[in-house]
Amino acid sequence: MSQPKASQNGWFNWMKDRFPESKQITLNIRRIFVIPTKVSLGLLVTLGVLFLMAINFQNSLIYALTFWLLALIVISIFFTYRNLAGVTIKAIQSHACFAGEKAVFEIEVRCPENQKKSAISLGWKDQDVAQVNLQNHHTVRIKLSHDTKKRGLFKPDKISIFTVYPVGLVVAWSYAMLDMESIIYPKPLLQDTAENQQSKSDDAEAGKEIARGSTDFSGIREYQAGDSPKHIHWGAYAKTGKAYTKTFVDYANQELWLDWDSLAITGIELKLSHLSAKILQYHQEQQVYGLKIPGKTIPPATGEAHKTMCLTALALYGQAS
Amino acid sequence: MFNDGFAKDLKITYSAMMWLLVAQLVVMLPLMFFLPIWILPVLLFSAGWRMRVMQGHQEQPKKVLKTIIAGIGIIGLFASGMPMVSLDMMASLLMLGFAYKALEVIEKRDAMVVILTGFLLIGLLFIYSQSILVALYGAFALTILTAALIAIQHDKGAAVSAKPILENLKLSSLMLLLCLPLMLLFFIFAPRFTPLWTLPFSGEGHAKTGISDSMTPGDIANLSQSDALAFTVKFMGEKPNQNQLYWRGLVMQHFDGKTWTQFSDSLSLEASRKKLRTREQFIRNRLVKKGYGREYEVIYEKTARPWLFALTPVVNVKGDAVYGTDYTLMARSNILEPKMLTLTSYPEALRDTTLDEKTRQRALQLPKGGNPQTRALAKRLLAKATSKQDYVNTVMNRFKQQEYYYTLRPALLGDTNTIDEFLINNKKGFCAHYAGSFVFMMRAVGIPARVVTGYQGGKWNKQGQFLSVHQYDAHAWTEVWFKDKGWLRFDPTAMVAPNRIEQSLEHAVGEAGGFLEDQIFSMEKYSWLSELKDKMDSAQYAWRRFVIGYDRDSQSALIKKFFGEQSLQKIAMIVGGFFIAIITLWSLLLRLGQNNQRESEEHQLYRKFCHRLEKHGVSKKLSQSPTVFSQYAASQLPSLANDIIAFTQYYSQLCYNPSEPKNKKENIKVLKRLFNNIKRK
Repeated sequence: MSQPKASQNGWFNWMKDRFPESKQITLNIRRIFVIPTKVSLGLLVTLGVLFLMAINFQNSLIYALTFWLLALIVISIFFTYRNLAGVTIKAIQSHACFAGEKAVFEIEVRCPENQKKSAISLGWKDQDVAQVNLQNHHTVRIKLSHDTKKRGLFKPDKISIFTVYPVGLVVAWSYAMLDMESIIYPKPLLQDTAENQQSKSDDAEAGKEIARGSTDFSGIREYQAGDSPKHIHWGAYAKTGKAYTKTFVDYANQELWLDWDSLAITGIELKLSHLSAKILQYHQEQQVYGLKIPGKTIPPATGEAHKTMCLTALALYGQAS
Repeated sequence: MFNDGFAKDLKITYSAMMWLLVAQLVVMLPLMFFLPIWILPVLLFSAGWRMRVMQGHQEQPKKVLKTIIAGIGIIGLFASGMPMVSLDMMASLLMLGFAYKALEVIEKRDAMVVILTGFLLIGLLFIYSQSILVALYGAFALTILTAALIAIQHDKGAAVSAKPILENLKLSSLMLLLCLPLMLLFFIFAPRFTPLWTLPFSGEGHAKTGISDSMTPGDIANLSQSDALAFTVKFMGEKPNQNQLYWRGLVMQHFDGKTWTQFSDSLSLEASRKKLRTREQFIRNRLVKKGYGREYEVIYEKTARPWLFALTPVVNVKGDAVYGTDYTLMARSNILEPKMLTLTSYPEALRDTTLDEKTRQRALQLPKGGNPQTRALAKRLLAKATSKQDYVNTVMNRFKQQEYYYTLRPALLGDTNTIDEFLINNKKGFCAHYAGSFVFMMRAVGIPARVVTGYQGGKWNKQGQFLSVHQYDAHAWTEVWFKDKGWLRFDPTAMVAPNRIEQSLEHAVGEAGGFLEDQIFSMEKYSWLSELKDKMDSAQYAWRRFVIGYDRDSQSALIKKFFGEQSLQKIAMIVGGFFIAIITLWSLLLRLGQNNQRESEEHQLYRKFCHRLEKHGVSKKLSQSPTVFSQYAASQLPSLANDIIAFTQYYSQLCYNPSEPKNKKENIKVLKRLFNNIKRK
C-alpha cells in the first residue's frame, strides 16, 4: 500500500524537475507524453479484420491497406506530438470568488513562429476544459473556471494540456504547474442571532433616517434589487423608463465596526461567513465600515478596494500568509 | 482512459458532417458496380435528411422511422435473390448499414464507426478488383476518409473557428504520403500466411468469365467478342513458335448431339483433391518424355472458375495447382485473385501410348443415332483410306479442299443433326464447329478422339517480353489417339483458316467482320493506339507480377535476391534499420527538432542552484524574487554567502539585462563557475 519513501521522493522530484512551478511553461519533448486512445484500439480491431481478409483472399491490396493504416497509427504519434510541442502556457491573472462559486483563471496560450496548433484542450480534470486553435505566433487568452469549496488561498492542481489532433489515434499530453492562486472569500451567510447584539443603535437610527427620507439627499444611482420602492425616483423613471434610486447619506458621520469579538456566534467559519455577508451588505449600502478580527484591524473606509481588502483579510484568517 | 473526466464536446461540427457525407459517397461509389445499385439512393436519402436536420429544416428521424427504413432495406436485400451466405450479401449488409449511419451521425463516436467501416469497405472493394485503377481509387478514398477523420477532431465549441476544408485534405495527403515508406516496409517484410479457413462465400457473386465447362458450337464465338485478358506468360527460355502455342485447358469427351461436356468425375474438385497424389504419379507414369522442357511463368486472371491453361503435358508445377484428368491442370478452388504459377512442359512428350478401357470408352462415346449423313460419309471415307492415319489426313484435307468458311457469325444449327447441318450443308463455322465435327468423324469409325478447349497463340509484348493471351484467343481443337504415338493434336480450323493459327484471330477474320465488332471503343481496332496499349499492358503486367502476385514465394525470393540467404535475426535487424531510417526521415521532414529548444541555460542553472540550496535546507518560495531569496539564503548559509550573492547577481543581470550575445556567453561561464563553487562546498 505504502510505497517506499525514496521512490515516492524520486517520482516527486522527477515530476518537479519536468514540470517546475512557474508563471510560464513551454512544452517540449521532456514534458510531452504520447499514448494511444480508444479510437486507435478500434482501428486495430478493424485492421485485424482487414488482415484476416487479406490472408484468406490472398489479396495484396488489402495487405497494403492494412499496413498503410498501421503506418498511419505510427505517424500520428509524430504529428500529434508536433501539434503540442512548442506551445507556451502563461498564467495571466486569477479572479477571487466566494467559496462554492467558481474561481476563474486567465491563461495565455502562445504558438511558436511559423507553426500551427489545432484543437488543443486545456483544463483540469472534472472541471472546465477549453479548446483552442492557434497559428504563427498567435496568442489566445482563455478563462478557465474551477470549483471551490473552502475559503482561503486556492491553488489549482496542475493544468492538463492535451490534443488528439490530427487523427485522434493518439493523445499527446502535458502538465503545466502554473504559479497562480486565487483568493476564496468565505461564503456570505448572515446569522440572525448575531444581528441584535452586533448592530448598535446607530445603525437602526441611520436606517430610520433614510427611510424617513430626510433632507440629506445625496444623489441618484441606478436601481438595485433590494432598494426600497420609496426611494425610487419616479420622475426619472417616467422620463427615461429606467428606475433610479435616490440615495441618502448619514451626516452623523457614524463609523460602523464589524468586530469579531462582539459577535455572538460560535464557530470561526460561521463568524467569517457572517462578516463576509455584512461587508457585502454595507458595501451595497455605501456605508463606511471597518473590520476588526484577531490579528488584523482595518480602519473604516468605503469603496471597492476596501471591500476587497476586508474580504481578503477574512479569507486568509488563520492561514499563514 | 486518459480523456475520462475531461468535459468534452461530443458533437461534431457542420463541416465535419459534410466531410463524412462526401467520404461515404466516395467509398460507396465504386462498390455500386458490384452490389445492388439501390443502396446508393439509400445513402443519398439518408444524407439528404441529415443535411436538412443540420440546416434546421427537419427533425431528427424518430426511432420508429429508422427501424422501418432499416427493415425495408434488409427485406430488399433478401428479395434481391443473392445467396444468403455470400460475400455479396455480407458486403451489401455492411453497405446498407454504412448508408443508414448517415441518418444518425451527430456524435464523434458515430463518426468514428462510419470511418472505420469505410476502411473495411475499401478492403472489400479490393476483393472485387485489384486493377491499378481500383488501387488508385482506393488510395483516393483513403485520403478522403482520413481527411474526414481529421475534420471530426475539432470540437464544436472551439475558441477559434475550425480550419478551412482544403487544410484537412492537405494534411491527410501529407500524412498518408509520409506513411508510404513504412507501409512498403511492412508490405515487403511482414510474414504472409496461407488462408486460415476456406471461405463460405468463395466464388459466389463473381461473374464467371473465360472458357466454360461445356462447348456448344457458337459459345467460343461469344468469347471472341471480348478483349479481356485471360493470362500472361513469361518464358524462361525462348518463346516457342506461335503455331505451337496451344494453351490446353479442358478436355470435352461427352457429346449429347448438341453440346460437348466434360465427364462429371473430372469436374469434381473434391475428387481431384483426394486423388491428387496418385494422379500425379499416374500422369508421370503414362508419359514418355521427349524433346526438351520449357519453363514459363503464368499469371492467370480472375475467372471464378478453376481451369488453368498450359502447354501440355505439364511435368512440373511450382505454385498451388492440382492435376485434373487427362493431363489438365486445375486450381484448388475457383480463381478469385490473379494467380501465378511456374510451369515446366514437354510439348513433344508422348501421352498414353497405351489406352485403358475406360478412357477408350470415353473417347469413342457418341449418342445413339442422329447425324446419318456424317456417319455415312465417315464410312465411305474409311473404306477408301489405306490406314487410320490416312483416314485422319483425308478428313483434315477435306476441310481445305471443300468450300468451308471460317466465320464468327455462324448460322444457327437447330437441335438435331447439328453435325450434318454444318458439315454437309452449311459449311460455315467457327473453331468449335470444326473441332466438334472432326471428333464426330473420328468416333464414327472407332478412332478414339476428343475435343480440347483452351486458348491459341497470344499477343507478344516486345517491350515487356511477355505474351498476353486474351479472351478472343479462345480456341477449340482435337486430340486423336494412335497406338504407340499416344494422343496427337489435330486442329481442323487450321485447315480452313490457317491465319487463325499462324497469326491471330484479328487477321484470320479480316474484312469479313465479326472481330470485336460489339466493342466500339476497343483499342485493338486502331493501330496507332496499339503502341500505347503495349505500354499499358506492360505496366499492368508489372503490377500483376510484382504487386498483386506478391506472396510468400516472391517474398522469400526477393529477400534472397537483395540480402542473400539470411537468418530470421538478420532480417529483423534489416527491418529495424529501415524502421529507424524512416523515423529519422519523418523527424527531419516534420522538423520535430525545432520545438526542442530547451530552457535557456541560465534558467537551467538557476533551477539547479535552487535545488542545491534546498539540500542545504533553504528552499525558495515562489513569491520570493531571486534577490530577496539570495539575501535570505546568504543569512542562513554564511559559508556560501558570497557565492550565493554573486551567482544571483549574474543571474539577474542575464535575465533582466539582456546584453550582447558575446557578453552573455561569458556571463554564463561565470555563472557555471560560481555554481560549481557552491556544489563543491
